[in-house]
Amino acid sequence: MNKLDKTTIICRCEEISCEEVEEVISNGGRTFDDVKRITRCGMGPCQAKICTSMVAEIIHQQTGLSPSEIPLPRMRMPLSPIKLETLATNSTSFSAVKSVLDEVELEEGKVR
Amino acid sequence: METNYETIVIGGGVVGSGIAYHLSERYKEGVLVLDKKYPMSGTSGSTQAWVWVHNKTPSWYAEFSMYSAELYPYLSKKIGDVEYKRTGGLSPFFNESDREKAQKLAESYRKIGIKIKVLSREEVLEKEPYMNPEVAGATYSSIDGNVNPFRLIDMYMRAAKRNGVRYSTYNRVTEIRQVNGKYLVVSDKGAFECKNLILAGGTWSREIGDMLGVKIPVNQLRGQILVSEPLKPFLNFTISGLRQANNGEVLMGYSMEEAGFNRATTLDVIQETANMAVRYVPGLRKAKIVRAFSGIRAMPEDGFPILGNVPGYENLYVAATHSGVTLSPLIGTLITELIMDGETSIPIDRYSLSRFG
Ligand SMILES: Cc1cc2nc3c(=O)[nH]c(=O)nc-3n(C[C@H](O)[C@H](O)[C@H](O)COP(=O)(O)OP(=O)(O)OC[C@H]3O[C@@H](n4cnc5c(N)ncnc54)[C@H](O)[C@@H]3O)c2cc1C
Repeated sequence: MNKLDKTTIICRCEEISCEEVEEVISNGGRTFDDVKRITRCGMGPCQAKICTSMVAEIIHQQTGLSPSEIPLPRMRMPLSPIKLETLATNSTSFSAVKSVLDEVELEEGKVR
Repeated sequence: METNYETIVIGGGVVGSGIAYHLSERYKEGVLVLDKKYPMSGTSGSTQAWVWVHNKTPSWYAEFSMYSAELYPYLSKKIGDVEYKRTGGLSPFFNESDREKAQKLAESYRKIGIKIKVLSREEVLEKEPYMNPEVAGATYSSIDGNVNPFRLIDMYMRAAKRNGVRYSTYNRVTEIRQVNGKYLVVSDKGAFECKNLILAGGTWSREIGDMLGVKIPVNQLRGQILVSEPLKPFLNFTISGLRQANNGEVLMGYSMEEAGFNRATTLDVIQETANMAVRYVPGLRKAKIVRAFSGIRAMPEDGFPILGNVPGYENLYVAATHSGVTLSPLIGTLITELIMDGETSIPIDRYSLSRFG
């Protein structure tokens, strides 16, 4: 991995360079998810499948943490992109999901 | 690392970092922010990040939110581009019966100077052509918008650090003691002493309060969000329920569940969210979902912010709230005023911890 230089692209989906990853760690970030939130590294369509180990290597090099001490990225459903309609069930009843206007309550005919 | 500070902020999320930055604008004494992880690992890293005013009730709470939204354009000028966009906000309704409620809302806001329009179906579709033509109407307000929460916190941190604020991350506070009129904050990386202590631990506020025997009644409420692949820009407004970010991703979701600190995403809520999204914007059907995420809201027991002095303690302050993204510039400004001037430009008594008795 010594071949990484500052301009090496670590995350191909979001085009994040080695330098950008290093900066987060030098500012106190320590995990893949810290790097992800600040740079978007790993937030693209591949969902960190390509960049995970390279980021871990950079964290290891910069902080001395051993690979087993570096948590893996939090994997997110659906793991690979699927169409929204595949997830939809066409039900129109909602329990956890709300509309903002539903939250507006009237008291004696007036807004609370 | 220095162990004596004038002020320590526990929690570096959007609320804590917002306070630290605003303090650093006026105040060059030592400020330290402590975070048990990294500042976006809490709720502030998993949020829709609407800067949302309209539909907040009662109207005094909407007014409070409005003052914060008004600060955003200046904030962007001061700390850098945080991708704040005042898009205007649309809350659609699908039953004609909701129109009356919408009108009542508009009426009650008129008194405080927040203009809400209640739109007809045609007006909604004119503004937002991709909205479901079955929509009955919507409330609309021009003051609503959204921001990139990651950029916001990163910029707060960078600006605060430029002004001399220190951050100590991956450093959990485990104990707080009062010693000789000061606070001794014990953390994984040592003990720090300060005069002013600000508790901004978000959804962990209860356990941080316990360290001092202060009851901060903040509960947890999970929310789940779906994120699409980047799509060409096609949504004009922040729609209550979904918004399109600068890079074209659409963030969908508005859900509330009691799940404690469990940050899993679950298929049932993902499905409901998908149903909501296609109901609002049917064209999203074919859009690909790249990921789902969830966050845990810090929800004060009565739903309203907890802000200001902790009664009975000198130089101890608390800032715990839901809608922290909307409120952060205002909370930062007000807590700074409270510390520097002993009073605030907008009254915050209503938000005092003392209301819980
Ligand atoms: C799904 C979802 C959607 C939302 N949408 C919106 C929206 O559209 N608009 C809006 O305004 N708000 C929204 N919110 C709410 C908003 O995100 C939160 O109000 C805000 O992020 C709270 O910020 P905070 O700084 O108080 O908390 P956090 O970001 O959680 O920060 C608290 C920090 O304290 C640290 N901490 C805790 N305990 C300790 C300890 N013992 N020692 C050291 N550090 C500690 C944590 O590590 C954390 O970083 C949403 C929330 C969710 C979950």
